[in-house]
Amino acid sequence: MVGAPLALLVALTAAMLWEGGAPVSPVRHLFLVPGVWAALTAGAQAGAFVGLMAGFLQAPLVLPAIERVGLTGGALDGLVSLVTPALLGAVAGHVRDQAFAGARRLDALLEIQRRLAADEPMAVRLDAVVHVVRGCLGARAVGLVVGSPEGPPAVASVPPGAALAPCSAAAWCLASGGGMRSRDLATDPRVTVADVSSSPRRAMALPLDAGAGSRGVLAVEWHGEVTEATARAATEMALHLGLSVENARLTLRQRRFAAELEEKVAAATARQRDIDRAKSEFISVVSHELRTPITALEGFSELLLSRPVSPERARRFLGHMHAESRRLGRIVTELLDLSRIEVGVAPVLTRERIDLAAHVERQIELFAGVHGGHRFLWRAAPALPPLHADPDALDRMLQNLLSNAVKYSPRGGEVRVSARTAPGGFVELSVEDQGVGIAADALPRVFDKYVRIANPKTVSVRGLGLGLSLVRALAEAHGGRIEVSSEPGKGSCFRLLLPD
Amino acid sequence: MDLLTAPFEAAREHARPTVWRPFVAVSAVMLAVVGSGRVLVLQGGVLADLGVALEGVGVHGGFIAQGLVIALEGQGAWAGSALRVAAMLLAGFLLGRLAPWGGLLLAATPLVLLQECRQYPILSRIGALEPVRPGSLAIGLGVGAFLGAHLLITASLTFGYGVSVAGVSAYAAAVAYDVGANALSAEWLFRGALFSHWWRYWGFWGAAVTSTGLSLVRYLLDPALPHTVEARAGAIFYLAALGVATSVLRAWSGSLLPGYCASVAFFAAYRTLVVW
Repeated sequence: MVGAPLALLVALTAAMLWEGGAPVSPVRHLFLVPGVWAALTAGAQAGAFVGLMAGFLQAPLVLPAIERVGLTGGALDGLVSLVTPALLGAVAGHVRDQAFAGARRLDALLEIQRRLAADEPMAVRLDAVVHVVRGCLGARAVGLVVGSPEGPPAVASVPPGAALAPCSAAAWCLASGGGMRSRDLATDPRVTVADVSSSPRRAMALPLDAGAGSRGVLAVEWHGEVTEATARAATEMALHLGLSVENARLTLRQRRFAAELEEKVAAATARQRDIDRAKSEFISVVSHELRTPITALEGFSELLLSRPVSPERARRFLGHMHAESRRLGRIVTELLDLSRIEVGVAPVLTRERIDLAAHVERQIELFAGVHGGHRFLWRAAPALPPLHADPDALDRMLQNLLSNAVKYSPRGGEVRVSARTAPGGFVELSVEDQGVGIAADALPRVFDKYVRIANPKTVSVRGLGLGLSLVRALAEAHGGRIEVSSEPGKGSCFRLLLPD
Repeated sequence: MDLLTAPFEAAREHARPTVWRPFVAVSAVMLAVVGSGRVLVLQGGVLADLGVALEGVGVHGGFIAQGLVIALEGQGAWAGSALRVAAMLLAGFLLGRLAPWGGLLLAATPLVLLQECRQYPILSRIGALEPVRPGSLAIGLGVGAFLGAHLLITASLTFGYGVSVAGVSAYAAAVAYDVGANALSAEWLFRGALFSHWWRYWGFWGAAVTSTGLSLVRYLLDPALPHTVEARAGAIFYLAALGVATSVLRAWSGSLLPGYCASVAFFAAYRTLVVW
């Protein structure tokens, strides 16, 4: 590195001697060149060294002149020529070193940010970072500890393989958020090391603090001399590392949040699509359900108006019309209830003291009279407490549950209804069928509005998909709840829990 | 990596230094030996040679003993090591007074010190080990030779001093003195113990300037140094340059040996300078 400047120096000395060896020779000015050359190519130490050599080589020419003629102007000029190359070499080299160090530091910082932002495992990223830091700071060893709220801190080191001891300086810095600096680890009373190295071991442990608390520790060890500029660079690097770690952490959190949001949006979109489809189906079903009784009413009323009919036949027609108009009324009532639920208005209840066993038994008898194709078994636990509930709402809940049990179970199937007290001050009324059952993934949706669970065996079953939704709304209006358990192919059991 | 693995206690403070008492004791013994040697020299007669030997042992043995005390932090059997080295020095100095080639025995002193270093691995902290950089011994010799040659050229051109070797035996004895006493004790104490110690606390330049300053004081107090102003100015310049250069070599190579080689080479050149 300094060979060529030194050779030039020797050549210049030879030229000066050949010229006569006068200390004020114009050649003396050229003695600045090797020092500056060495400084610009190899730095301050080389520049100062070559400059010093320039002074040494000129000294045998300058000093005898001073001894001969005294401290004249020429002699002073010669003395300045002795000193200037070393000073200039040192200064030029220092400026060059500063510029190079700044550029190297900037490169390192950019590299660190690039490495930390890479889409790689944390261990790989930290490993790359410690190599960059070590190269930039000229350190013997570098360790990087990044704390993690979920688990043990991540550690990377070069030379590799160092684990974080809980009582170490880095662990102390991580816990306290403070930093430590040691002029020499071998003689530092705070650190226990068995070290006989011949050079001081400077060390720094710096918190990675970007203003939001310490995120980790940067530990750096050097052998030999460390300039203040290097120490400042380490501090600056720790600050940038803190920022980069914080940024990486925020980016990771943002990515997780974006993924979660994407999932939620997808789920909401799917749900909205289901609701849209259910509404379309609902409108179709409602139209059909409304059309059927209206058609019957139109037909029978036309018959009565268009031709004379016997009183018995007219009475039968009027009976059909009455039944269809009641059906129409029930549909409209359900739609009104639905409308109230949609706008968040709880159904209006008129609570009465009800003897549940007697009430339910009577309803089952009425229902069984109409649906003779199924067997209804009723069992009530002894000493059931009286229930404070709206009898009409209770009837509608029970009828919906029974109607579902009948609709979704084969003819001749058994429908078991039972009542008993339940923990927490509730009375449990359960309706169990031996029908097609409900798939596990569909169970959470059975109480949603407009939802009718698709099943090839029940395509012919008519309904609006509102019954269970109304049951839930009425149960909740009573302060109770509805639960379901089911096994596909074996049947379902709905449990209505109402406060006593 | 010790920052990650070594036990650390943030509140632990420095233990009370144990160096001062043995250091003062060694210094007192050193002064006593030099003083008694001086007395014997002043009395003249057959014991004058013993007096000169005692002066040499007092100074150089004392420096080596002080270096041992500092390097071993006042602990361990430093006294035994110091006495063995002092005995070797005494033998060398006495033999040098009794026979023309006897002084060559002094050149064996580094071997005794080397043997002591093998007993105490902790002495590698002051650089008592082989240099880690290949070629550093040659560089050390080159630095010393350059400074020595420069001294000879500059002194002869400027002041007209001569360059000659009076006799082979006298020159060899002088070089042996540098090898086994002068350069050895100076490097051991100033570069080995003091520079290495202060380097850990004050950084390179603080340690280099202070240890070089102390070594300059040591040489300026040396009665063997010519008393002319120009000789003293030259001594200050070259010994300062030598001190800084050996400090650089010590820090760069991790070892005392390159600096020691530089000192020996410099003084080997210096011994040929004839000051009128």
